[in-house]
Amino acid sequence: MHNLIVNEWIKIFKRPGTIVMIALLILCVIGMAILTKLYNHHVHSEKIQWQQQVRQEIKQDQKQLSETPQTAANVKKDLEQKIAVNQYRLDHNIPPVKESTGWTFIEDCSHLISFAGLFTIIIAAGIVASEFGWGTVKLLLIRPIKRYKILLSKYITVVLFDLFTLAVIFVVSAVLGFALFGTGDGNNVHLSYTNGKVVEQNIFLYLIKSYLLSSIDVIMVSTMAFMISAVFRNSSLATGLSIFLLFMGGTITAIIATKYSWAKYILFANTDLTQYMDGAPLVEGMTAGFSIIMLLIYFAVFQLLAFLVFTRRDIAA
Amino acid sequence: MGNPVVELKNVTKVIKGKKIIDNLSFTIEEGEVFGFLGPNGAGKTTTIRMMVGLMKITSGEILICGKNVEKEFEEALMNIGGIVENPELYKFLTGYQNLMQYARMIKGVTKQKIDEVVEFVGLTDRIHDKVKTYSLGMRQRLGLAQCLLHDPKVMILDEPTNGLDPAGIREIRDHLKKLTKEKGMSVIVSSHLLSEMEMMCDRIAIIQNGKLIDIQKVHDYVAESKQKYFFEVDMENLPFLNISYKKMEKGIEIELEKDEVPDMIQLLIEKGIRIFEVKPVAKSLEDRFLEATTKEEKIHA
Repeated sequence: MHNLIVNEWIKIFKRPGTIVMIALLILCVIGMAILTKLYNHHVHSEKIQWQQQVRQEIKQDQKQLSETPQTAANVKKDLEQKIAVNQYRLDHNIPPVKESTGWTFIEDCSHLISFAGLFTIIIAAGIVASEFGWGTVKLLLIRPIKRYKILLSKYITVVLFDLFTLAVIFVVSAVLGFALFGTGDGNNVHLSYTNGKVVEQNIFLYLIKSYLLSSIDVIMVSTMAFMISAVFRNSSLATGLSIFLLFMGGTITAIIATKYSWAKYILFANTDLTQYMDGAPLVEGMTAGFSIIMLLIYFAVFQLLAFLVFTRRDIAA
Repeated sequence: MGNPVVELKNVTKVIKGKKIIDNLSFTIEEGEVFGFLGPNGAGKTTTIRMMVGLMKITSGEILICGKNVEKEFEEALMNIGGIVENPELYKFLTGYQNLMQYARMIKGVTKQKIDEVVEFVGLTDRIHDKVKTYSLGMRQRLGLAQCLLHDPKVMILDEPTNGLDPAGIREIRDHLKKLTKEKGMSVIVSSHLLSEMEMMCDRIAIIQNGKLIDIQKVHDYVAESKQKYFFEVDMENLPFLNISYKKMEKGIEIELEKDEVPDMIQLLIEKGIRIFEVKPVAKSLEDRFLEATTKEEKIHA
């Protein structure tokens, strides 16, 4: 199995397209670093009176909270969270980070994860379909290795590729971030708001966690692309449909969710697990457990389809 | 001949309600080159794909060295090296990287083995070039190298000479001969190029419409005592000839034993017929093949 994954990895990285993808990803991080550097406000003076400012913010938010209608649950939650975090800052003497630091830069770069997801989808959509396109599938499947092992090695490679793109963003943004913006003033904790309480978190662990959570939808959509690729042997269909869903799926689901509660069964209603950490879920009554189960069901269905069709198919043409 | 290496037992393949292969049974023995002949669409490729597990068998079974292709896929395929139609390789990799791909999929293929195989097919100079720079003949040779890596007992080649120039075809033929002689491998070749098969194979199976029509040894097929000879002659004095002949455009065709040829020449000269050329008209496999397949069609009609 290890050798099969090595094979797939070589096939991916010996193609110029992949190198272009990785280069683009690194360029994007560099671009973000330049923009951040240009628009970074030097606000040292504010540091001294930060308590005053935070008190001001709390007051404003409380006022807004009382004016917000009951129906806008999401907005209300957001405000409550902001107030709680600010209060915690006052109580524990943790000044808010106004300046960019290496840490905040890494966090900013997590927006590039969907962009990296694009590349993972392209890889996932091509990994089975291209073998058919190249005609190499005939030589690949007459090895003394069962077909499910070959497909499994391909899927594992897709997941590894996704983790690889995450690592590229993380490492490049960390190197650039710390070089350009420093490590901050040592107060590098993340304040997260869970179950109505503010919790201090190690910023490094927090960043890793948020990177992984942000890539759940990428992994799910890649799995779908992989399934389409294995079932229909058509990488254009797999790429097109999956990229469309990656960028539009959330929006479409949100629109449906305003009218129908069955929207909660749609894949994209469940891919954002952060909705349970801060803010309200898309549809009332959804829980993290529900979403995880839905994700597992979708995952199982995609994999089942891919494996059943691929292992039974007659290789003609 | 030795033990059977490949056995087909009542193999049938139905695709979308149509019988593509109908109750095919035959055996291939150790060390022989077995030809698989038939017109396009007869089911050659389908049969070969079932042998290597690319297609499922609807009913019946195929055994490779005693292992069932479907139930003991990995064990059966250990004994097979194959090229199905043109060897499609990874064009963006070098020849060597391609071989490494396949070497990694089978335990115990060493670096020396790869070098040995590369040398055998004569690609040593170009093995580190990208495959997209290879000619078709070189790709065919790399394809051959690919199926030799694990020393299989059977090589299965589907239309291996398709699109090759005569030199390339000859090369493949020489390689196959070497393999069967030196390593005792069995080779299964499919083709619709009859003259080719005649030179390559020990035995030939003819299939048509998914049915086995005939299996014969090539030598039985080709070596027959009486042959036709073509005499390019002056047509003027022909009417005086009192033997049976077939009139052609520039001469006559006569069926003769080899011993009778000088006598015939003498006879013609005596009759005042000028001879420009005498040559045997080989009753090739092609004639045999067409005979066999058209006969079958007539029965069906």
